[in-house]
Amino acid sequence: MAGENRNAGNGFTGRRRLRKPKATVVVADRVARSVITLGGIGGIGAVSLVGLFLVYVAAPLFLPSRLDAERAVATGEPPAGVVHVAVDESATMAWAFHRDGSVLVRDLRDGRTIHRLRVPDGPSLTCWSFSLEGDRCALGYADGSVRLGTLGFATEYVDADDVRAAGREPAIGEAVPFRRGMVERTPEDQFRYREIVLALGEPLVLAAGTLVRIDQSRGPGGSLVAALDVEGRLHVGERRERRNLLTGELATQVRGGSLDLRAAGLLPAGGIAPSHLLLTGLGDNVMLAWPDGRLLRVDTTDPADPQPAGEVDLVPEAGRRLTAIAFQSGKASLVTGDDLGRVRVWFRVKDPEGDSRDGTALVLAHDLSGIPAVATAITPSVRTRMVAVGFADGTAALYHLTSERRLVTVDATGDGEPVEFLALAPRDDLLYAQTGGAARIWRIVAPHPEASWRALAGKIWYEGYGGPAWIWQSSAATDSFEPKYSLMPLVFGTLKATFYSLLFGLPLAWLAALYTSEFLAPGARSRVKPVIESMASLPSVVLGFLAALVFAPALERWVPESLTAVVTIPFAFLLGAHLWQLLPREIMLRRSRCRLGGMVLGLPAGLWLAFALGPTVERTLFAGDITAWLAGQVGEGTGGWMLLLLPLSAVAVVAANVQIVDGWLRNSSTGRTAREVALLDLLRFLLSSALAVALAWGGASLFAAMALDPRGGFLDTYVQRNALVVGMVMGFAIIPIIYTISEDALAAVPGHLRAASLGAGATPWQTALRVVVPTALSGLFSAMMIGLGRAVGETMIVLMAAGNTPIMEWNVFNGFRTLSANVAVEMPEAVQNSTHYRMLFLAALTLFVLTFLLNTVAEAVRTRFRRKSLQL
Amino acid sequence: MREKRDMETQSIVTRPSPPDAVDLRRRPGSGENRLAAIAAGAAVPADIHAGVFASPAVLDIENFNLWYGQKQALFDLTLPIPRGKVTALIGPSGCGKSTLLRSVNRLNDLIDSVRIEGDMRLNGDSIYGRSVDVIELRRRMGMVFQKSNPFPMSIFENVVYPLRIDGERNRNVLQEVCERSLRGAALWDEVRDRLGESALGLSGGQQQRLCIARAIAAEPEVLLMDEPCSALDPIATAKIEELIAALRGEYSILIVTHNMQQASRVSDDTAFMYLGRLIEYGPTVEIFTRPHLRETEDYITGRFG
Ligand SMILES: Nc1ncnc2c1ncn2[C@@H]1O[C@H](COP(=O)(O)OP(=O)(O)OP(=O)(O)O)[C@@H](O)[C@H]1O
Ligand SMILES: [Mg+2]
Repeated sequence: MAGENRNAGNGFTGRRRLRKPKATVVVADRVARSVITLGGIGGIGAVSLVGLFLVYVAAPLFLPSRLDAERAVATGEPPAGVVHVAVDESATMAWAFHRDGSVLVRDLRDGRTIHRLRVPDGPSLTCWSFSLEGDRCALGYADGSVRLGTLGFATEYVDADDVRAAGREPAIGEAVPFRRGMVERTPEDQFRYREIVLALGEPLVLAAGTLVRIDQSRGPGGSLVAALDVEGRLHVGERRERRNLLTGELATQVRGGSLDLRAAGLLPAGGIAPSHLLLTGLGDNVMLAWPDGRLLRVDTTDPADPQPAGEVDLVPEAGRRLTAIAFQSGKASLVTGDDLGRVRVWFRVKDPEGDSRDGTALVLAHDLSGIPAVATAITPSVRTRMVAVGFADGTAALYHLTSERRLVTVDATGDGEPVEFLALAPRDDLLYAQTGGAARIWRIVAPHPEASWRALAGKIWYEGYGGPAWIWQSSAATDSFEPKYSLMPLVFGTLKATFYSLLFGLPLAWLAALYTSEFLAPGARSRVKPVIESMASLPSVVLGFLAALVFAPALERWVPESLTAVVTIPFAFLLGAHLWQLLPREIMLRRSRCRLGGMVLGLPAGLWLAFALGPTVERTLFAGDITAWLAGQVGEGTGGWMLLLLPLSAVAVVAANVQIVDGWLRNSSTGRTAREVALLDLLRFLLSSALAVALAWGGASLFAAMALDPRGGFLDTYVQRNALVVGMVMGFAIIPIIYTISEDALAAVPGHLRAASLGAGATPWQTALRVVVPTALSGLFSAMMIGLGRAVGETMIVLMAAGNTPIMEWNVFNGFRTLSANVAVEMPEAVQNSTHYRMLFLAALTLFVLTFLLNTVAEAVRTRFRRKSLQL
Repeated sequence: MREKRDMETQSIVTRPSPPDAVDLRRRPGSGENRLAAIAAGAAVPADIHAGVFASPAVLDIENFNLWYGQKQALFDLTLPIPRGKVTALIGPSGCGKSTLLRSVNRLNDLIDSVRIEGDMRLNGDSIYGRSVDVIELRRRMGMVFQKSNPFPMSIFENVVYPLRIDGERNRNVLQEVCERSLRGAALWDEVRDRLGESALGLSGGQQQRLCIARAIAAEPEVLLMDEPCSALDPIATAKIEELIAALRGEYSILIVTHNMQQASRVSDDTAFMYLGRLIEYGPTVEIFTRPHLRETEDYITGRFG
């Protein structure tokens, strides 16, 4: 049968292949192919899913804000004499304070009055102020007395039976009038009752005459009140309450002082009273603003002795008027609105050069223009730096001040009437705007008002800072704290970590790879390589632990020695090499195998030298105390310049040697013995070293004489956990991967190129540097990129050894915080779906993109390199 | 001095055979026996024609043995390479031609397992002596490999590489050497306008000639060529053969080839090796027209190999 088939074949050989692959082979082949395909697609899919997930979580940060119309309420006839309006948490009720001291609480669904109350009778009420949080008030009277107290909504949970007994049966989520306020049935089926509370303290006599402006704050020690009387005298009072620990008695202590503005010539012509009086949250400044934009600051750090502390013109344009002013939450930043429609933020910054009494100056930090109408009402948010502003043309807008963005605008009145009152619900989720007898309510959809590309990447001027800056600070102790989310310090930290670890690790890894591939005997090579590669299996947490607890303290203890070692170790190696040349030629050639051992000796020799010279170096260059020197407390710049210039001068001296001395030496070495040449070489090396040091010293003295100081850039105050520590330890961590890939690239250089070079009489070093390295260059580069990728993503080491301070400084001796460490540190404390949480995801996304880019570049280079090496 | 050296060489060749050696010299035609004896490990003395001693030697190989680990690859080779002439090394594959060539410039040092005995002398200077500077030594020779191996640099840099590694930086000198070498390698006219381009863009034959230009750039005392034409087409081969002919006289050339025509065309002397031993060595005319040994005749006429 087989014979028949063979003959019946129609192939060109006249034969047909008889053997067919077994079915199992075919099946195995198909299975393998589909598994591999699936695996590949799965891998790509998984990676892109991770990326997509990060995008999915981070993207809402950049969604535009919205105002959804909730409802309109008719509040009856125009509210005559209303001076302040506030709404409750769910905007079901609003209270309005009237000039005559009455408070009206309305149901915001139908506009009906629920409750009405009055401040106690007494002298006539002349001025008032209400806290932003909607809980405290200060009232000033015609007799010069003030009363501080509570005014606002209070919440309590009531029994369901009580509600039902009153004939009320609200559905879940619904609020109905009950007693003096409203009761709401929560989704948890509880009855939350909210009513207005007014409780005033005893009158406190501040002045002899009628008070016209008042404000109060709760400082660290007690309540502060500032009031202006009709005579132009500013009165400040501080009330401290101290409980006697033994008797339990409450002792109240009041002290204060006053400043006669009229007498001091601080009132404008005609004695016009300021339109606003504002007391800062810390009570250290009183700000008086006039309608023409003039603002007078009075320093009240000592309440007993108020003193003028400077003036600012808030509206410098002639004829223009200041139309609205308010403190932001925390009572440190002023928000002003003027008749040009500008909304501006002012706060105090340190101004040591200025002549103001308290060493600060009020500066314009943010300017948001764009709506061409008079700003009529400003209501800052209690929780964030958002502010609602109403305008005379009926527009209401939400701004985020620090990021200088107008989030959203609406036509608030519908008929071009000016916005009279604006209120934000305490949770920033509802906006209430009132004009005449009509009010409207919007639901605010602005979950991440502080996030914008500008805030992420650009410099932002935060309250209390001297100028715009990149800052990451996600949480702090106080409520009025504004989280600062700039990714720049983290990206910077990542780059800094990468830079310093590459600075340390890359040369070592490359040189090690070059040495093993080109100089080590193949036998030794096959043993050395796995050893270095096994370094990669060292968990980075162990490295981080060593770095933080062993290495960092050691480095801190021996700073001058470590710096000296940077110079002495290479010096020791080079000296050793020159001394080796002095050996008789025979011994040298015969003992060439001991060279490695000799080289290893260079390390302890260099270290010994460093420790021997360290104290001297510290004494001569760093005024005897390097830590103080780095902090800029002692000494001059010479030592630091020396440190920075030494590598440069060494390079210069080497270049000069190559350019000039080499040729001369070669010419004059003809006819001399090898020993003489070696001696000459040693002499040249010693002279060159001395020259390099002298050159560096000269340059350093020159710079120092020019009054330039290196401190403040790469060299600055020493912090124990710093970039140097991380650079060394993370450099150590990335050595294996760079080493492996570089070694492979070098070993992949075809042997015939090496043979050609050696055959032409090149030394192994020349062969390595002139032929092997250039040929493997792209491989070496791709090794670097992969090391870079590893350094960028490395978390544990930087987390433990970098100090995690998100500052932007190139200073080698200071810490930083990387993207990865930041995510690791803050993710546990971030509230899900908060801005902070999404910001961390954005940081992770940035990291993802960064590493992805690096790896793509590395891969592209590597493919190119592979193509090129195939050509050879 | 020269006289004396020749005398010495003579004496080595004619020294009494070791007792266990089979002397088959006077029995031409017994080829199988001789080769079988070598294969069996017997030491058979080489037949060296007197003609090769006619001119002074540039390279003397003296009792040279080489082992790759346990395996011996070269057995007791003794032969002079005449100055200013072309010497061809022929023999079946694996007989040790390349090994011998690489031993001359000590490229075998790079292989860990290699061990040698005996010595070679380049113009009287020991090559394997204890205090020889290998780098120095290699600079006195040029080598062209079987596969062309230009460096991934420009044509110019490839040619002047031997000068570069000597530290030569004078642009005029480099240019002069580059032109002279390229002219010498018959490549100048083809590449004169593209000296700055990558050498990898040249054709295979051009690359090989470039390697020859590189090998002669440093004006070596000996030029070692290991099957320089094996990867080339007949035209390129012809060019290289012309080149070798032109270089004869100026350079001493040791060339390995598998091409009998080539050996007969380009060489002055021919050495026939077998299994690491030298079988017969003499002026090419004699080897190709009236060889002393039957085995040599069999090999060059293609009856075995
Ligand atoms: N690096 C090496 N390690 C071990 N043995 C080797 C090595 N190089 C060559 N040999 C052995 O030495 C012997 C001679 O090899 P060589 O390359 O010199 O032969 P050749 O005459 O040049 O052959 P061909 O004509 O095929 O090039 C061969 O048996 C070979 O197997
Ligand atoms: Mg060969």
